[in-house]
Amino acid sequence: MLRVLIPVDGSENADRAVGFVIRKAPLYKEPLEIHLLNVQHPFPGTIRGVHKEAEQVHHEEGLKALAAARKQLDAAGVKYVFHISVGEVPEVILHYVTDRKIQQIVMGARGLGTVAGLLLGSVTTKVLHLVEVPVLLVK
Amino acid sequence: MDFIAEIQTPLFWAGLMTIIWVNIILSGDNAVVIALAARSLPKHQQNKAVFWGAGAAVILRIVLTIVAVELLKYPYLKIIGGLLLFWIAVKLLMPEDGGDDIESSDNLIQAIKTILIADLVMSLDNVIAVAAAAKGSILLLVLGLLISIPLVIFGATLLMKLMERYPIIVVIGAALIGAVAGEMLVTDPVLINWVHAKMPWMDIHVPLLGELSWAQIVGAVSVVVLGKWLAARAERAETKVVDLAAGDQQAK
Repeated sequence: MLRVLIPVDGSENADRAVGFVIRKAPLYKEPLEIHLLNVQHPFPGTIRGVHKEAEQVHHEEGLKALAAARKQLDAAGVKYVFHISVGEVPEVILHYVTDRKIQQIVMGARGLGTVAGLLLGSVTTKVLHLVEVPVLLVK
Repeated sequence: MDFIAEIQTPLFWAGLMTIIWVNIILSGDNAVVIALAARSLPKHQQNKAVFWGAGAAVILRIVLTIVAVELLKYPYLKIIGGLLLFWIAVKLLMPEDGGDDIESSDNLIQAIKTILIADLVMSLDNVIAVAAAAKGSILLLVLGLLISIPLVIFGATLLMKLMERYPIIVVIGAALIGAVAGEMLVTDPVLINWVHAKMPWMDIHVPLLGELSWAQIVGAVSVVVLGKWLAARAERAETKVVDLAAGDQQAK
């Protein structure tokens, strides 16, 4: 089993990364254990007393961001697990890589927040610095 | 009271930009709390909760603005206000903390209680920041107040979307509040002469983005550095990264 993590932020680039994994999956010698991950940016820390409701909103927004990716995978009949967490994206990705013993990351080169003209998004760049596993960038 | 002349100074526009940005963050997060607290209520009660919650926030802003403008003339209060604002600005950059929920708002009374407590604290932040950024200009003060009102009433959805797409807006807002806090601290009647004497560089103005004082620059930079550092530290110390989808039906 090759454990692959695909961070998805709802951007088209992320969805292309998912499409790429679907197409290339048969090329791998081992079956893939695919993990989708959406990381929600937290509300500012001045919010008080509404933690449970905030989590609900994060959960819903996470499901929205993952929807297109999940649709592709479901249509192709590919098995996957999905996760939604809140926090700083690169650090949360690192957490899952360690926690789930991920062996490879496939992610978009640029994401939703990327400033036009940058070759690599800031999240992608930070992930490249943080993780020890191979990272495959899809444009 | 020459508003026409005042509008033509760059200081006015810099002050206005600051106040608009600060209001977006500090009225917006108040609006977000109101919207979130009302979420778990049945539809017809939601409107009531938002109405009362936003109404209370508006009244608090008006009352507190009048009080704050007077109080800020007294010694030590600018120091307290400045430190408070500094803390708020840093907190903006940290993730929401799970600790302080009363039980969840599934009835109207509970929701209103949550909203009113939040309103009190969050209106105070907003008012201090605007009063300090206005620097004595009545025009800016009133404009600041007026801008905050629709933001508190209608701002929740807008701000939630904005913060999601462009978290940098909050960082810039926090930096601006830090700048206001820095300026407040060194202009307290108790400190102002001491600062002039011992740290004259603090009120040297830099012709950068329209006359910034070093107090503002130091305030802004320290907020962002401290906030980011604390957020990263919280993230790493956080042994429980929660998977919100853990209970969801996964593809089998």
